[in-house]
Amino acid sequence: MTGGQVKVFGKAIQTLSRVSDELWLDPSEKGLALRSVNSCHSTYGYVLFSSVFFQHYQWSPSATITDSDIPLNLNCKLAIKSILPIFRCLNYLERSIEKCTMVARSDRCRVVIQFFGRHGIKRTHNVYFQDCQPLKILFEKSLCANILMIKPRLLAEAIALLTSNQEEVTFSVTPENFCLKSSSGESLDLTSSVYSEMSFGPEEFDFFQVGLDTEITFCFKELKGILTFSEVMHAPIAIYFDFPGKPVVLSVEDMLLEASFILATLLDYPSRTSSPQSLRLSQARRSDPTLSGAQEGKSRVSQTPESISRAAPKRLFPKDPPDSSSAAETRRASASQDDISEVPESVVSDMEEGQSPSPLRKFSCMFFGAVSCEQQEHANHPLGSLAVASDSEQDASG
Amino acid sequence: MKFRAKIVDLACLNHFTRVSNMIAKLAKTCTLRISPEKLNFILCDKLASGGVSMWCELEQENFFSEFQMEGVSEENNEIYLELTSENLARALKTAQNARALKIKLTNKHFPCLTVSVELLSSSSSSRIVVHDIPIKVIPRRLWKDLQEPSIPESDVSIYLPALKTMKSVVDKMRNISNHLVIEANLKGELNLKIETESVCVTTHFKDLENPLLPSDSVSQNRHPEDMAKVHIDIRKLLQLLAGQQVAPTKAVCNIVNNRTIHFDLLLEDVSLQYFIPALS
Repeated sequence: MTGGQVKVFGKAIQTLSRVSDELWLDPSEKGLALRSVNSCHSTYGYVLFSSVFFQHYQWSPSATITDSDIPLNLNCKLAIKSILPIFRCLNYLERSIEKCTMVARSDRCRVVIQFFGRHGIKRTHNVYFQDCQPLKILFEKSLCANILMIKPRLLAEAIALLTSNQEEVTFSVTPENFCLKSSSGESLDLTSSVYSEMSFGPEEFDFFQVGLDTEITFCFKELKGILTFSEVMHAPIAIYFDFPGKPVVLSVEDMLLEASFILATLLDYPSRTSSPQSLRLSQARRSDPTLSGAQEGKSRVSQTPESISRAAPKRLFPKDPPDSSSAAETRRASASQDDISEVPESVVSDMEEGQSPSPLRKFSCMFFGAVSCEQQEHANHPLGSLAVASDSEQDASG
Repeated sequence: MKFRAKIVDLACLNHFTRVSNMIAKLAKTCTLRISPEKLNFILCDKLASGGVSMWCELEQENFFSEFQMEGVSEENNEIYLELTSENLARALKTAQNARALKIKLTNKHFPCLTVSVELLSSSSSSRIVVHDIPIKVIPRRLWKDLQEPSIPESDVSIYLPALKTMKSVVDKMRNISNHLVIEANLKGELNLKIETESVCVTTHFKDLENPLLPSDSVSQNRHPEDMAKVHIDIRKLLQLLAGQQVAPTKAVCNIVNNRTIHFDLLLEDVSLQYFIPALS
């Protein structure tokens, strides 16, 4: 990598550091992927650097299963606190670094990062990693009803105008309008944060497709990190989403790299229907997109415009037991493919019961159903599922 | 009750924003009083605010190109709202370089002061940002506690030195003690004094001016060299000094010996009265 490429790479590291304390390096034939997922599995970050991003890219599988000839990838998990300081002063690195090399070898469990600067200065970092299989997420963003593309600067500029200190932000869309809101809390006293709102017309977007009038709420911190990264890449940001409770995908692509961030959204319903009805409506939405749109339209028509735009969130957490056959199917699919965009959408929905209390508990973890199911099988060992997978593969290769 | 107002002049908008920032430094929660001619930000001397009180007054016609209000009744044509000062300041902060600003009393699920800011975005299109600030309407029976404070007859009045200089001095004194003695006399001398068991620090300001005394003043018979002094909580003074982003047009300090210190500031066309009681 040259100095400019180091800056982009470092920005990706910084953005993923907002997601989790851990990071996977996942090299493959297509290029080098960075993956990160937070502890309550409500945010997943993925950045794929194409092999042509690098001046030189060499990859070979560490081993092959003799039967199926499927390559086993390097399983490389790093602590963010080890790698983030290396890419801290990016503007300085961009100017002073002529070349950067990264070499990872599975037999030595370390990544060697070398910076070659002016005047013959060479800086070497050895970062040790844990042999741990990366988590992969199954979500087909192109199936989302709502797809928007916008210049990150416009969105970042608007977000700076929100006065709220709250942790969440709300996108509200109709075919004619995009509305950005600070998520309003339910308390009505003076100490409440200011509720802020602003609208964009479709003409401000590079692409504006709204197939489903909806309102989604998700974490503000991650959005800001993603926008910072998008601005460095000078590429429009694409936003894919459906309805509350389904994840939102924020995606940036250009010739050299693609980045996707999948964020859980707050479960809420604009209508004030009772719980059983809302649950049924939610299930109906999942089963039939067309019906889902119709239902959404009906619930909207019955309310005055003002109350629609300011409906208070009503938090419902579906308590369906995990669908074990579906989970098994997604696990099998995950084992056979490594491109997230080629995997069909998972509809497993589950709330982890062992989760510690935190504001993020409000968010749906539906796209991590498979992981949740595995973790339930190994209740005493949180990372048991990953370790087991790793062990079994080692047995196969032995 | 109705209230609707609009600012279109950029200088007026920036001035209003600065006033709002100053209020946010002085009072966590305050009362906004809306009357046909004036806006007032009011802090009455509750024990919750350490006995400090504040009265800030703006002539509405100096700021607003449009101003419509209807009070609770014809004979009581005023509106009193309680709000968190920081919320208003933060909403107005987004109004830098705005083309227009509107303020309106609304009731969306809860009573709000709605601030609408019209901006120009980098894509050259107009952008409207709406902020809803939660408020509480103060009932008529509580208005009597929110009237203009009477100005006590002072022993010494003196024009303050540059507030920026004072702030610099008081900031450093704050590191030594929370108790400050401020004293002044009729010879244009002002002292800021910190006394602890281990150290005593005094900063002297000289050659200041004293305002002309009314003829029936108590101070008429006072020796010019005699110091009138008040022992105060230094943090209260710092709050006042921290809020001054632009040098005031006039800044007078009135001292009632051992009882009260009263600051009388004029910021162009906005007046501010700030009272700090003596520590017992």
